[in-house]
Amino acid sequence: MNARVIKALLKKDLSLFMSNRFYMLMTVVGLIFYIGIYFLLPSNVDEKLNLAMYAPEMPRAFGQLTNHEGAEIQLFSTEESLRQAILDNDFQAGVALPSDILDVWAAGGKPMVTVYYNSAAPVEISAAIVALVKELSYTQTGQVLNFDTTEEILGTDMLGQQITLRDRMRPLLAVFILVMETLTLASLIATEIEQGTVRALLTTPLRVSDLFLAKGILGIGLALGQSVFFMALVGGFNHEPLLMFVTLLIGSFMVVGIGFLLASFTRDVIAVTGWGVLILVLLAVPGFGNVIPGLLSDWAKVIPSYYLTDSVSRIANYGAGWRDVMVNLGVLIGFTVIVFWGGMSILRRRYL
Amino acid sequence: MNLKRVWTLIKNDTFHGPKDAVLVMSLVMPVLLALFVNLAFGNIFTDRGKLGVYDEGNSGLPAILVSSASIKVKTYNDEVSLKNATTSGAIDMGIILPDDFDTVLTTGTVRLRAYIWGESLAKNRAVIPVVLADAVREMTGATLPVNIDTVALGDVSNLPWSSRLLPLTVLMAIFFGGMMIPASSLIHEKQKHTLEALNITPASISEIFIAKGVIGAILALIMGVITLTLSGGFGGSPLALLIVLALGAVMAAEIGLLLGAYIRDMNTLYATWKFGGLLLFGPAIVYMFPQIPAWVGYLFPTYYVVKPVMDLSVSGYGFNAILTNALILAGIVIVFGLLVIAITRRMSTQALRLSA
Repeated sequence: MNARVIKALLKKDLSLFMSNRFYMLMTVVGLIFYIGIYFLLPSNVDEKLNLAMYAPEMPRAFGQLTNHEGAEIQLFSTEESLRQAILDNDFQAGVALPSDILDVWAAGGKPMVTVYYNSAAPVEISAAIVALVKELSYTQTGQVLNFDTTEEILGTDMLGQQITLRDRMRPLLAVFILVMETLTLASLIATEIEQGTVRALLTTPLRVSDLFLAKGILGIGLALGQSVFFMALVGGFNHEPLLMFVTLLIGSFMVVGIGFLLASFTRDVIAVTGWGVLILVLLAVPGFGNVIPGLLSDWAKVIPSYYLTDSVSRIANYGAGWRDVMVNLGVLIGFTVIVFWGGMSILRRRYL
Repeated sequence: MNLKRVWTLIKNDTFHGPKDAVLVMSLVMPVLLALFVNLAFGNIFTDRGKLGVYDEGNSGLPAILVSSASIKVKTYNDEVSLKNATTSGAIDMGIILPDDFDTVLTTGTVRLRAYIWGESLAKNRAVIPVVLADAVREMTGATLPVNIDTVALGDVSNLPWSSRLLPLTVLMAIFFGGMMIPASSLIHEKQKHTLEALNITPASISEIFIAKGVIGAILALIMGVITLTLSGGFGGSPLALLIVLALGAVMAAEIGLLLGAYIRDMNTLYATWKFGGLLLFGPAIVYMFPQIPAWVGYLFPTYYVVKPVMDLSVSGYGFNAILTNALILAGIVIVFGLLVIAITRRMSTQALRLSA
């Protein structure tokens, strides 16, 4: 290994990378974009049903609602102030009970309850409130249903400590940053092949292994640097920082391996972009499973980035430790070794 | 104009033209955007709880639950699938209705087993049982002891984000490919001096322009149809929608030809796209934020593509309701067409050369 030659090659590749406006733009703007997305997303989970209520006379069943863990009730002194609160978007919906509600029920009549909702609120809100009012009215008038149910909570009960959307999105964004570097590295290699500079380089004291080492260092450096920067900013290192770093490092090796493989079966930068975008989309798919729970079936485990996304998600969002993600990391390392070796072998055979 | 020559040019451009990032992005980006908008904004930002039902018998409850607007109901064929769906978070709660559910219900007792996803929100855990109880009451024929009046406050209509983003998705599908393919194709010809080679063939400039425009317009139309299919928004008048999409696709191709005629390199084309994109996507921004006065949209030519598409696909209007906007769109297409004709008449291959 010739350190001086590798350093020179690294310098050259870095300047080549910075002079390519497309990839430079994708890298810098992309990073700002991902960080921006994270901080724009809601930082808390709106876990309870927020409801405004005007009840000059509070029926017992409706009163019990104020103690329900799934509802946040605010009482208003006038119907007009309740209406205004809904118009001001402080509440999406509210219930106004008539002052004679108990008397009407006592007389065997049907009181008129008004459900107000903001016209911009989703339709399910008013429908849910109507169902709630119905059920409370049944309960109040003594028509109680006997529930003979057995309940089982699957997974950890996260009531009150839900994962926010931005944190669900964190693994997807981190993996996206990593896989973008597949494109960058592959296009750098493709440029060298297209312009014939690889062969020129090999007439110097540079060996093929040095060439791969330099490209690998650059690719891993770019991928790891950006993902670490992103995760540090979004609190991804708050739990098990070393484990998170190791996971991202293995992820960086993986994307560099895929980059070598991509460059090995494409002829030019245009082909790299075309195939690279498709690979990028495929690798990003498992990340959507974190954002939308239940979206993906078991088939997603065929995609190698699943093990990276799942590990990042478990460590950052569920407090997983080394033992919990050991299998994932093992699969990742195995896959990385295969693509690294495969990519380098094919590149060496075809072009060097 | 010789149609045979135009067809030959179309075939050549399609099979031997550049397969570059513009083509990939024209094909992939709209589909990705449509998928993302539908997956993300159709599911994440909804407050609707998700209930899974496995009916061991043949209860009438699932049919009543499905009609509820406050929750989403999915049915499962066995308990294992229901449990897996709950564990993965596909549903907030999964219930198993025993085969004697309806019989036991006649005694006033609701007997069932339930699985609850550990990460489901408190409000969903509160609303789903309420909706369930409501459906059970409907089954038992209970008399509602209250009259409920629902009153909407405010004048802002509730348009879900997936619908608000539909104009952006449609415009991206039609205009990225429709505009960029003819423009980049002309620029490539100029950069590689192949227009000069074409000049010695019988093909005229207008035939070359028509061939490239047709490719762009067809691609734009196909992408527009795919995007709308993915967004589930074809409405009740698919033919009218196709006509509007076709007019939009032609407009995109015409703008692309105009850009291709004047722009010399790809960097300038991308820069124009970045700036011009703001003008093209203006109506999409107006749709995203109902607070912006609607008249602002009238100023953009693409408004007359977006408005009829939204009216037909989201609002479910018929052809008569969009006739005025469709005619304005046709007028804009004719104006752009005349501009393209004027340019092809003025220009020769010499004028299109990069070295000029």
